[in-house]
Amino acid sequence: MIQVKNLYKEYCVAQKGKGLGGTVKALFKNEKKIIKAVNGLDFHVGSGEIVGFIGPNGSGKSTTIKMMTGILTPTSGEVLIDGRDITKQRKEVVNDIGVVFGQRTQLNWDLRLEESFELLRHIYRIDKKEYNETLAVMDSILGIHELLNKPVRQMSLGQRVKGDLAAAMLHSPKVLFLDEPTIGLDVGSKFALRKFIKEINAIRGTTVILTTHDLGDIQELCERLIIINNGVMMEDGNLSEIVERIAPYRTLVVEYYDSEVPSHPKAEIISVSDNIVRYKFMKSEITAAALISDLSATKPIKDVGIEEAGIDEIIKIAYTTKTTDGN
Amino acid sequence: MKKTGSSIAHYFGVTMCNIKMALLTIVEYPSNILGWLISNPIQFILGFATIKFVVEQFGEINGWSYGQLAFLYGIAVISHALSMIFFVQGWFMGFYVIEGDFDRFLTRPLSVLYQFFFTNINVLGLTDLIPGILVFVYGCVKTDFSFTVTNVVGIIVMLIGATLIRGGIYILLGSTSFWTKSANDFGQFTQEIFDKTTMYPISMYPEAMQLILTFVIPIGWVSFYPASELLGIEHAFSIGGMEVWITLAVGIVTMLIAGLVFKIGMRRYESAGN
Amino acid sequence: MLNGRLDKYLYICKIRMIRSFTYKFEVYGNILMQSIIMITTAFFWKALFKNETFENGVTADSMMTYTVMSAALSVMFTTGVERRIQQSVEKGSIATDMMRPVNVFGIFLAEDIGNLIALIVQNLFPILLIGSLLIKVPVIVSLSAIPMFVGSLFLSMAINWLLAAIFGMWAFTAISMDALFQVKKHLIRLLSGSIIPIWFFPAWLSDILNLLPFVYIYQLPLDIYIGSATNDEICRRMLIQLVWVLVLATLYYLLSKKVLKKVMVQGG
Repeated sequence: MIQVKNLYKEYCVAQKGKGLGGTVKALFKNEKKIIKAVNGLDFHVGSGEIVGFIGPNGSGKSTTIKMMTGILTPTSGEVLIDGRDITKQRKEVVNDIGVVFGQRTQLNWDLRLEESFELLRHIYRIDKKEYNETLAVMDSILGIHELLNKPVRQMSLGQRVKGDLAAAMLHSPKVLFLDEPTIGLDVGSKFALRKFIKEINAIRGTTVILTTHDLGDIQELCERLIIINNGVMMEDGNLSEIVERIAPYRTLVVEYYDSEVPSHPKAEIISVSDNIVRYKFMKSEITAAALISDLSATKPIKDVGIEEAGIDEIIKIAYTTKTTDGN
Repeated sequence: MKKTGSSIAHYFGVTMCNIKMALLTIVEYPSNILGWLISNPIQFILGFATIKFVVEQFGEINGWSYGQLAFLYGIAVISHALSMIFFVQGWFMGFYVIEGDFDRFLTRPLSVLYQFFFTNINVLGLTDLIPGILVFVYGCVKTDFSFTVTNVVGIIVMLIGATLIRGGIYILLGSTSFWTKSANDFGQFTQEIFDKTTMYPISMYPEAMQLILTFVIPIGWVSFYPASELLGIEHAFSIGGMEVWITLAVGIVTMLIAGLVFKIGMRRYESAGN
Repeated sequence: MLNGRLDKYLYICKIRMIRSFTYKFEVYGNILMQSIIMITTAFFWKALFKNETFENGVTADSMMTYTVMSAALSVMFTTGVERRIQQSVEKGSIATDMMRPVNVFGIFLAEDIGNLIALIVQNLFPILLIGSLLIKVPVIVSLSAIPMFVGSLFLSMAINWLLAAIFGMWAFTAISMDALFQVKKHLIRLLSGSIIPIWFFPAWLSDILNLLPFVYIYQLPLDIYIGSATNDEICRRMLIQLVWVLVLATLYYLLSKKVLKKVMVQGG
């Protein structure tokens, strides 16, 4: 469905000096620096997948999604959607994609929602029958019908995002791109949005690609995660695989009767407070049961617990890992 | 052939829809209509009064009588008004570049430049037409201008050309933002320059400037040359009464160049937030 | 206490100045455009005047000085206050802006002053230089005119800023801001003498215009600069200019009170 090949994007950024002196100097002399926002991405997304793009701010994930939607021209490399290059055949290829950017809207601010839909109907040349069918589907998932007569400027953010989602789906695109769709939404709207993504994916087989900072989005939606940092792909796979790969350890929490704490050759003590010790151990090296029995052999244990690396921890690790030791 | 036809129908359908939305937006804000109905005529009536006072002080300007100047002024304001209706967005292109407002146009199956101009078609620019037409008619009466078929066709042809020249120049100036990455709004400056060069005969200026206005920045073709032809006034580049058609040709060429520059600039478009 | 309060505004002023300095291409673009306009205007007057001398002693030569100085002044009369008011109304930040311990219009003034300093350095000097090289060195008519010129220029800037602020606040209560700003722009453009000196207008009209504030923005300082008015006349007109500053300042004060009250009640 989507093929990203050897994708690069460079920006030329003017360097500015500090303070008044620096800015005055910059009036006459320009120092430029090239920033590699996306630095060689290669991946493939199959039809009907839901893929989450995650990465810290400035990691290049927005730049990537903008190149995939034809907004930015890659410095080199290409994005193929159904085998066609989006940069070279933009006007044809965009018929197959829908785009929702959380912070901005494609709806006309001053007019009723339906007017914006009507314009899109003309832009994408959707015939009346198909338009009504799609609208009925959107209504069943999002309850869009009651919003149709409302001016967009009077809508809440949640309602507006619903309007934008429906607008992006009117021409029944094969791929839906969402850039931070849940940003700023309340819990109810977030829930509705996730339900929407799952349902259009199930009912229409729409491929969904989204960027997000929201852990709930990732956990609930993304069968596949692509983690990007410094313009380079850090991880690509499903959530549990990634956990297995970048955090193949667990933490054993042991409470003793006194503060004299035993150590173990295959476990690392990461913290000691009062009588509670945390041991970090590799799943591949030792099992939790073996570790507990070894420890209880040296000293009586009052209580134990096991902690898995959480998704937020995984992301933290992925974000902080440097490009050099990635891949 | 069939593809071209359906493409034209496509753009036509979208254009109608855009006009309808523009009208609906105006109805949403009725006080805007009133505002522009006052502000635009004020501007041009004052502007025309100024010309009258200048002519009263100095007599003819380079052989152009008061009536002829009114004709020139009127026709210049009409093409200005048309350019305001269709191409005024060009003045704000820099803001689109900086704010990343081209994003949504790029994800739709239509020409970006078309969407840029027609999504925000400025129906209120019609208020500029009123003073233009008034002064033009006044000029026609004063100069005994006869509305023969040739003349009417000539006026229509030159107005299309003049509007395209203006629009092309707006696009070219706006496109500089792709390189400078700054939201320059040259609108007021552009209009100031256009006022001085389209509402007065450019033959009053030094030769070097006339050459620039004829061949480099083709503002001379917006009003001076075609109006000269229509009024039968001799000028340095008399080309046997083809001026109105040359204006059209110059307009098309300017637009094509502007479109090309815009397209090249668009490759440098960085959206927002980088 | 007073010192501490002033510090805030000085800081805002400085920040605005630094920000203005960073828009490099805008600066070059503006200088280029303003120079083109200035040169075109100079040719325009040259073509009209030929060798004529006007009844108040103005020649093509003094008209060149007028053109260069008018271009220079237009740089100094740049204000951002009306746009700032419009933006803060549109974004709805006006309410929070007004809750701050500093006067919101004081902030806008400080910003405009900061911007003005930047403009003087990066636009005014280049334009004067270009005008001097390509058109004429704009020499003031006599040394004794300098204090009057400087004095009336300050009053001009006051009128210009107050008008902008008043139109900004007016737009606040009206709805159609853009059209209103256009009206103001064109009134100043055409009735202030910035493009066409008002002595070209018929006597009845320039008499009326002399009662309006607009001519005291461009026309008066320029008349003083090129010496196209007698000393008596200048004194009389400076007096009217001063009256206008006072009238506008009062109007500004009353309006800002009203606007503040309105915001407090409605919450923006």
